[in-house]
Amino acid sequence: MSDHLDSAIIFEPLSDAFAQDPYPTYAAMRAQDTPYYYEDADTWMLTRIADVEAVALDPTMLRSVSHLMNEQECIDLKKKMNWHDMPHHERFVQFSMLDSEGDVHTRLRKMVFREFTPAAINKHRQAIEIIVDRLLDALMDRPEIDFVEDFASHVPGHVIGHVLGVPENDRPQLRIWSEDIVQFWNIGRTEDDKRLAESATTEFYHYLQSLLAERQKAPKDDLLTRLLAEKNAGNMNEDELVSTTMLILKAGHGSTIDVLCSGMHTLLKFPDQHKRLRETPSLLKTGIQEMFRFESPLPYFHRFATQDTVVAGRKFKSGTRFGLLYGAANRDPARFENPDEFDVARSPNRHIAFGGGTHFCLGNHLARLDMDVIFTRLHERFRSLSLIDESPKYKNGLSVRGPESLRVAWTPA
Amino acid sequence: MPKITFIEADGNRVETMAQAGNSLMQTAVNAGIAAIAAECGGVCACGTCHCHIEPDWFGRLVPPAVDEADMLEFVIDPDEHSRLSCQIKITDDLDGLIVYVPESQT
Ligand code: HEM
Ligand code: FES
Repeated sequence: MSDHLDSAIIFEPLSDAFAQDPYPTYAAMRAQDTPYYYEDADTWMLTRIADVEAVALDPTMLRSVSHLMNEQECIDLKKKMNWHDMPHHERFVQFSMLDSEGDVHTRLRKMVFREFTPAAINKHRQAIEIIVDRLLDALMDRPEIDFVEDFASHVPGHVIGHVLGVPENDRPQLRIWSEDIVQFWNIGRTEDDKRLAESATTEFYHYLQSLLAERQKAPKDDLLTRLLAEKNAGNMNEDELVSTTMLILKAGHGSTIDVLCSGMHTLLKFPDQHKRLRETPSLLKTGIQEMFRFESPLPYFHRFATQDTVVAGRKFKSGTRFGLLYGAANRDPARFENPDEFDVARSPNRHIAFGGGTHFCLGNHLARLDMDVIFTRLHERFRSLSLIDESPKYKNGLSVRGPESLRVAWTPA
Repeated sequence: MPKITFIEADGNRVETMAQAGNSLMQTAVNAGIAAIAAECGGVCACGTCHCHIEPDWFGRLVPPAVDEADMLEFVIDPDEHSRLSCQIKITDDLDGLIVYVPESQT
């Protein structure tokens, strides 16, 4: 099916070279007249922002088509994906708001949307400042740190734990559960990986059950209490509540760590832009927006066509799988002037790092607030920040983007 | 082609000729109004295409549907003339419409 032009492109998304710099490959793919067919995944890869946006916004293009299948087809699919024998994972992870459509999706999203509006999220600013300050306090006497492991990887578990209402002492466990659950999607999954994902899901489920029982007796001002009220009012069932909670954690965990670290790395790579941001703190908002564009932490999602369709001027059959390469679309010169330049004042900056359409990222304001607090604090508390390793290794694979580690030297202000 | 005027938070006026059938949000984006972030792309899922309609014009628009009214509760600094620009369809009788754009949506 692939046409001869595609052979000119070397698309090896698992390779180290791609991980270090996927953007030349994306540029070559974008320059082709037709989307790139990636045979290994039977997927048409879209790299132009106009095509990516058109598919993300098309109501006939769905993330999940399981609700259109009969029972046997569903069982066959689960076997094919090798996740048929993981009862809790199936109940709470494979089913989620993100993988539901139509009325179910709308209803579930309504249950949580009010908690993630700019006004609701801004109320968490002080709590996030305290979390960040505490993490930094513990590192202040170190001349250098691994920004990933020593700092960033602790942030989202604490922040999301705070938003949900998880007691402070239990929050470090959220990171472990989240990582154990999502490693399931790593390439080359083994039976051990499956067992780990299933047991983490089970433990997290039992833990949530005990928290919910506490909230039933003594309600608090937190997301879990409000979700419980929705459940008690008959607006969602317990499985939906648990799965939504797990989704919020897993969607917001790795993505936050990756963009914090790639954002830090990018600032240090472009000292002129970093200096500009330090001198003019009012640029932080556009600067953060640019960090999401420049190194989009979740660069790849997919959609299925549910009817015959035309994409990028070419006809496709119902059932075709499309890859939405948000990371490639965000470097499209058709939308962004000098797309490979990092410009902290870029405006307008209509990137698609948070997706588009009905599944548009629920947690985007929280992610931005984390970044806002962290870069503000880093600039206040440190006179200088610099890279020790000029070219840190980035994670392999198409679905995530962020450095594995990032050694940074710093001098307190 | 109806003429639409956007007044940005700093007072800057942007006049543009709109295409009937487009949304007011698309019109703003095409006119380069940066503060209309419109992050979900126009499906009433983000609230970042919020604008204030000139009071004289407000009552002349087709009123918001339930989805839009729900979302308007969640935008930054709503007032009685708030609308989501992605839910307003441009028609020829909107010629002369004046729209105030908030400073920021996020
Ligand atoms: C830090 C950077 C983040 C990025 C780049 C990001 C990106 C995205 C994208 C692209 C989607 C849509 C997926 C698709 O198109 O199929 C999405 C959905 C979602 N995100 Fe985020 N996200 C981030 C952080 C967060 C955070 C912090 C949370 C929650 C605390 C969160 C919660 C969600 C949820 C619940 C959905 C599903 C929404 C739905 O199905 O309606 N995300 N995110
Ligand atoms: S563009 Fe998202 S609600 Fe209008």
